[in-house]
Amino acid sequence: MKNHLIQTTNVSLSFTVGGQNVDAVKTASVGIPEGEFTIIYGASGSGKSSLLNMLSGLQKPTKGVLRYKGDDLYTKTPNELAYFRASELGIVYQTNYWVKSLNVLENVAMPLYFLGHTKAEAHILAVDALKKVNMSDYAKKYPTLLSGGEQQRVAMARALVSNAPVLIADEPTGNLDSKNGDMIMDILKSLAHDDGKTVILVTHNMEYLAIASHLLEIQDGVVTEIDQADIPKTVKSMLTDVRKRIETLMEVD
Amino acid sequence: MRRRRTSADKASVKVSILASIALSNLLSKKLRTGLTVFGIAIGIGAIFFLLSFGIGLQRLVTNEVIGNQSIKTIDVSSPNSKVLKIDDIVVERISNIQNVNEVGKAYFFPGSYKISSSESDSIVYGIDAGYQSLTYLNLIHGKLLTSSAANDSALLNKAALEAIGLGKKPSEIIGKKIELIVPLSKVDEKLGTLKKEFTVIGVIDSGSGSEVFLPANVFRDAGVPYISQFKVGASTVDDVQNVRSQIESLGFETVSPVDTIQEINQVFKFLNFILIGFGSIGMIVAVLGMFNTLTISLLERTKEIGLMVALGARSLDMRRLFVFEALFLSFIGSALGIFGAFIMGRVFNFLMNILASQRGVQDKFELFAYPPLIVISMLIFMTIVGLLVVYLPARRAERINPIDALRRE
Repeated sequence: MKNHLIQTTNVSLSFTVGGQNVDAVKTASVGIPEGEFTIIYGASGSGKSSLLNMLSGLQKPTKGVLRYKGDDLYTKTPNELAYFRASELGIVYQTNYWVKSLNVLENVAMPLYFLGHTKAEAHILAVDALKKVNMSDYAKKYPTLLSGGEQQRVAMARALVSNAPVLIADEPTGNLDSKNGDMIMDILKSLAHDDGKTVILVTHNMEYLAIASHLLEIQDGVVTEIDQADIPKTVKSMLTDVRKRIETLMEVD
Repeated sequence: MRRRRTSADKASVKVSILASIALSNLLSKKLRTGLTVFGIAIGIGAIFFLLSFGIGLQRLVTNEVIGNQSIKTIDVSSPNSKVLKIDDIVVERISNIQNVNEVGKAYFFPGSYKISSSESDSIVYGIDAGYQSLTYLNLIHGKLLTSSAANDSALLNKAALEAIGLGKKPSEIIGKKIELIVPLSKVDEKLGTLKKEFTVIGVIDSGSGSEVFLPANVFRDAGVPYISQFKVGASTVDDVQNVRSQIESLGFETVSPVDTIQEINQVFKFLNFILIGFGSIGMIVAVLGMFNTLTISLLERTKEIGLMVALGARSLDMRRLFVFEALFLSFIGSALGIFGAFIMGRVFNFLMNILASQRGVQDKFELFAYPPLIVISMLIFMTIVGLLVVYLPARRAERINPIDALRRE
């Protein structure tokens, strides 16, 4: 039996938008195995980000229990949840968010600031993290002046800086060209395979599915866990579906 | 029950880091920060300028009115000098009152003096050592009367010299002989007129009319039975009121510089209140500017705050970040305001002294006062104002939901 780092039990998330009730995540009981590459796959609006917000300690589920290393995450105080995010998670977003008044080095060092490191300690570790993504020459520049690919590499350095056991990447290649996208994916693969990190990748891009050692498919809030052995078959079937749809569309034209 | 401190509680952001982030945020918007600091500097500077002017003016007036009198001095006079006279018995009784430290006796009469061929009218005083000690005579040349001074010694004030055309050369009068004529017949017909030659031993700078000072023994020896003015020095300022009450219970009237100071303080309390009121208008504008800056900064940085919370910042840290920004704005603004007001005060004082000297005022004067307590109070006041102004933006920063903030366009 797999050792699940994160385990959800009957977790669901609902909220009201414009007076209408939305079930973003319907009752889900899934696990994220430790040290593996998990992909959460789904179309836009399927509930991927909502599931991710719950996993990253930002959004309390409406119902159910979410355990991290066996502890109920949402019984923690807000300060403990903040500490959890700083110490256990490294997060990369599709859109790059920065504190614009701080330079690359300071932005990368930010999670370490929140863990109570001194500026000097944090900056030494931040330079190491920037070296891992070949961005140490940009340390004194301001992140908003960098290209999209460079910004995403810096964001990756920020996720790596605290050496957190879990790395969450929310559509990290969504705004990148294929070259930069592939480079980010290579770093993520290396983190899971070489460094033993637990990587959770959220994507709607089917071409990355083959990388996953664990796959969660989400459709209209319903989360389906796909066994590792079934991943190639599932990916194949998805690709066949897509091909058929394209052929149908071309016949209509 | 005390809650156990977890590693989450211990892992708070270093204060120096929060301060440096706050400073970076402010410096990233140089124009806005500069204008806000300028507004605060104007507000605080206006209050400080007007307040230091009010206090300086109060001190100037107090010094002019009280002059050289010791604040512990009580002037004793008789409400009816023909009935209740200040003689040796009265002096003895008053000297024995508890906490009376020193007494001084003076005679004064209208008279005239003559040097060479120049003659002028003057008030002629006969003073003893105690009186001289209780009345600070600002000696500018020669020496004062001492207890061992010869009975033919005399002091003249500058006004007396000016009356005979020697105002510009006060040193030249020292050692010269003057003839004094003092009619004493009003005191007692038998006393006639005191007409005697004296040697000038000193020149003093006090009083606006012509005054000549002689040793008290001159009048005592001439047979004057009672003294004209009597001064009492209390041990401490706190004793003044009690000593006055006891003297007044003997039927005499008393006057103390404390009365005048209280009246001056009363007037200036009102004046300072008005000056602070005017300064406060600028202050209110500055505070609104600061609130505006912090609120706009919060709105602009909602996403950044959301990011920091998502990366592990505590809500409390976000509140502190804004508090630091407000403190920087208020402290730098008030420090600059106080410094600017100080410089303006110096320039204004310099110009007023030049203007006064052109109109014949010889002595330098100081229109402004800068008590350290006022400077410290202004800085503390502005720090408190900064904390009050930042309360709402900081509370909003603390409550920002990172998910909503990051979704925000």
